[in-house]
Amino acid sequence: MKLTICHSTRYQYAEPASRSTQYLRLTPRSNRHQQILAWQLTLPAPASQSVDAFGNITHLMTLDAPHDSIELVAEGVVETRPNGWDDDASRLNPLVFLRPTPLTAVVPVISTLAHEVAGQAGTVQERLTVLSQEVLARMPYTPGVTDAATTAASALTLGAGVCQDHTQVFIAACRSLGYPARYVSGYLLSGAVDHAASHAWAEVYADGGWLAFDISNQCTPDDHHLKLAVGLDYLDACPVRGMRRGGAGETMHAHAAVEQHDN
Amino acid sequence: MHALTLPHSSHYDEMLLSSGAVRPHYQGFAEWLQAQTPETLSRKREEANQRFHRVGITFSVYGDESGAERLIPFDTIPRILPASEWRALEAGMRQRVKALNAFLHDIYHDHEIIKAGIIPAEQVFTNAQYQPAMQGVDLPDQIYAHITGVDIIRHADGHYYVLEDNLRVPSGVSYMLENRKMMMRLFPELFARHAVGMVDQYPALLLSTLRQASRVENPTVVVLTPGHYNSAYFEHAFLAQQMGVELVEGRDLFVRDDRVYMRTTAGHKPVDVIYRRIDDAFLDPLAFRPDSMLGVPGLLSAYRQGNVILANAIGTGVADDKSIYPYVPDMIRFYLGEEPLLNNVPTWQCRKTEDLQYVLEHLDELVVKEVHGAGGYGMLIGPVASAEEKQLFRDKLATDPAGYIAQPTLCLSSCPTFVEAGIAPRHLDLRPFVLSSGKDITMVPGGLTRVALKAGSLVVNSSQGGGTKDTWVLED
Amino acid sequence: MMLSRTADHLFWMGRYMERAENLARLLEVSHAISLMPQSRNGRAEISAPLVLTGRVDDFLCHHPNIDPAKVLHYMAYDLANPASILSALRSARENAHAVRGKISSDMWMSLNASWLEGRKLAEQGEDFQLFFDWVKERAHLFRGATYSTMRRSDAFYFIRLGTFLERADNTARLVDVKSQLLPDSPLAGTNDYYAWSTLLRTLGAFEAYHETYRDTLSGKRVIDLLLLREDMPRSLRACFDEIRLALAQIQSDNGRAAQRLATELKAKLEFTTLDEVFSEGLHPFLNRMLGEINRLGESIHRAYLEAA
Repeated sequence: MKLTICHSTRYQYAEPASRSTQYLRLTPRSNRHQQILAWQLTLPAPASQSVDAFGNITHLMTLDAPHDSIELVAEGVVETRPNGWDDDASRLNPLVFLRPTPLTAVVPVISTLAHEVAGQAGTVQERLTVLSQEVLARMPYTPGVTDAATTAASALTLGAGVCQDHTQVFIAACRSLGYPARYVSGYLLSGAVDHAASHAWAEVYADGGWLAFDISNQCTPDDHHLKLAVGLDYLDACPVRGMRRGGAGETMHAHAAVEQHDN
Repeated sequence: MHALTLPHSSHYDEMLLSSGAVRPHYQGFAEWLQAQTPETLSRKREEANQRFHRVGITFSVYGDESGAERLIPFDTIPRILPASEWRALEAGMRQRVKALNAFLHDIYHDHEIIKAGIIPAEQVFTNAQYQPAMQGVDLPDQIYAHITGVDIIRHADGHYYVLEDNLRVPSGVSYMLENRKMMMRLFPELFARHAVGMVDQYPALLLSTLRQASRVENPTVVVLTPGHYNSAYFEHAFLAQQMGVELVEGRDLFVRDDRVYMRTTAGHKPVDVIYRRIDDAFLDPLAFRPDSMLGVPGLLSAYRQGNVILANAIGTGVADDKSIYPYVPDMIRFYLGEEPLLNNVPTWQCRKTEDLQYVLEHLDELVVKEVHGAGGYGMLIGPVASAEEKQLFRDKLATDPAGYIAQPTLCLSSCPTFVEAGIAPRHLDLRPFVLSSGKDITMVPGGLTRVALKAGSLVVNSSQGGGTKDTWVLED
Repeated sequence: MMLSRTADHLFWMGRYMERAENLARLLEVSHAISLMPQSRNGRAEISAPLVLTGRVDDFLCHHPNIDPAKVLHYMAYDLANPASILSALRSARENAHAVRGKISSDMWMSLNASWLEGRKLAEQGEDFQLFFDWVKERAHLFRGATYSTMRRSDAFYFIRLGTFLERADNTARLVDVKSQLLPDSPLAGTNDYYAWSTLLRTLGAFEAYHETYRDTLSGKRVIDLLLLREDMPRSLRACFDEIRLALAQIQSDNGRAAQRLATELKAKLEFTTLDEVFSEGLHPFLNRMLGEINRLGESIHRAYLEAA
């Protein structure tokens, strides 16, 4: 399927920021699942491109003159296939993805949840699908109750969250069962209005390959999904991670549109 | 003429036999000591104290809310090593550090030692100190640990053992240098009577090591400190001054176009080598801990591009982790094809069922340590622990066996030390500092001798009441 | 060339030590007056230190009225008051600590001891006059150590910048506040000997006055000495000259604006006559000078100290 993506992010500061530095993971890479036909970043300053530890294409951008807003636009056309998730760009040993992070720390509520489904019969795929169902059942999709700093443990305790929270609870649970699991950030072509086009899902390493799970949508990611970046948690994979000096009163507005490309 | 308590025969004393006889290499010092009046020596100790205070060689203690600065007590009786012993230690450390650097290069590249089945993959890849960001990053001369502090003790059997390797940000070298300066100031006559190996060239050696770490010609080197509230700030400032390089904080640096610059009165200046005294987790708030302001946003990216050198490299902690420590002798065999020259302390890895079993059965004799603990915190010394303490560790071992290792209770050697009641044996260790560059592995003779000032105590850490001594390596 | 942050610490180290001395000199006078129950204008003299440092409101939050002993304690020993002498000694020491490697050991030891001993003196409630004498001595010691042990590098000149910017500010403020307290204008023939002599003493210029003018005290000449004489180390003109000289020594292309401003100020005072000062009005003139000093400070900050 051919998708067009337009993703704009705008930061506005009440007081000017004297300088900012940002890591941008806004450029998908081509692999067996997706072929990038065209891609362009429009940024307020030159950025240097590199590949990070997880194989993601990253840009590092520094603004060192005072500024009161930053606007980032990523847009392009991508041809996706329903599968091909096992194409791994990083040279990391999958065991690395067993490591907990502050956002995905395994606490008793998570390991208990994980072990409840672990005992069930079936293939890994089937058992983890049950786990995915269980995660969503325990924390229905609820925008606005969690934020980027919410840990998996507190989101689960809260019993609500968005795709980021579902994904982090799911990967923490997988890790507690001994399955390496990682966070995927990307885009989703979705008819539904209540789900943002910016999306997150999980990949789990089992039997020598990566399996993908979209917990929020209870589906297996397919050609509606476009992968942007992977990592141990949201912080590793999120599209923009930045820091600034000054710039009090930040407001952020992000808009992502994914549409089926009409040739 | 001095009230001198003799060492007990249960451990090794660096100076005396339990009969009171003096070891040959301490003979000259012992004669000198007997010729001094207690009044002179006490006046000299007071002078040392005052001077350390005035110069500001102080450290702050973790968790001390008042932010008070304390002196690390300095003892004026030196710890003396004969040349032959030092030569053996030096060769052993050289070999060890070489193997550790080879190990670090390997686990961040092709994982040969894991493929060979010598170290289990999960011991490395799930270790919190293993930094995925270092996988595939090529460092000049494959040097990861430019500076290594090797903690060595001498057991009751008279042999030296390596207790641990410090490959992250080993500290204490400023005390080694200041202690020597102080001894030479207080007792110049002693240095006329003894041929003591020089240590003051350390800052010059360190600078040359740091400069060689870069591929840039005539590189700009800086020391990166968390700031003057850090417990080791004195040392950071001291080393920067001695090397004649800038002492910077994270906020003095910034990254643009994958290059690191510092902000100066004459504009932005590129930086090539950072001798960082900040842990991995704080280096780049955009890549590691997001809540830290100590580091430099974007530093990781500049580093991965090879545009700046960090000393030590990111991710060296995996090699000095207590869970990896037991494998060091195997590393030496695997990478160098040599037999280890220095002893490792026999270690039981509680993650192994049979080892755990042994540890639980022999808790009275063993020292149990947290795999990721440091600074003498979070450990159990079996022979002196109370029943409650032991029960606490039994519980800990039951819930998280992989989090612990155990070792026999080593009886650290002792050395006569000034105490309230005169001179008495106190236990000590030794931390030499090993510098690695592509060209060479170098170290100055000696190192930092830390001494436990409480009678019978085996904990030498300054944060827990330890002191220091000057360390002499006698030349032949 | 040095780190902007280092320059900032050195600059403020110099400023705070100078500030400690200026405060001691000012409080010394307040102290003398407080011992004279019959003194005219006593209350105004006593509150002068609070007015000069902008601490009147804070003081009155903690104390019911302007009591001389309380004011002295608050301005000398109170660490909760950021404008006290002890706070200045602490700030000087903290700034020095942060750049320990950039100053000589003699300087560091002197500053460190000033803070440690000062705290002790404050704790034991040392006699005020002895304390003020001690503070002045410590300031002299610090400057002496700086002058005789510090390499003439940028670091040295940033300390000088801080010292003289603070001193210029202090002289201008002090002359302004004190001249307003005087019963008569300095132009009037009836001069208040006592008031003018305390102002001179506060600025350590009493002997210099007599040496320069060999005559009885006249308000006009006091103003001349403290603002326009180039050979008086605490005069406004001398301070501007020192700032100009220090800026000229600093190796950087960033400081043109600051250099121009300092040179302009120095030249202005050089060619200003006392009559011109009085025709503008002393208070408006000093107000304008304080504004210029502030601008100069900002300009130095932008050029060298801002970590930008």
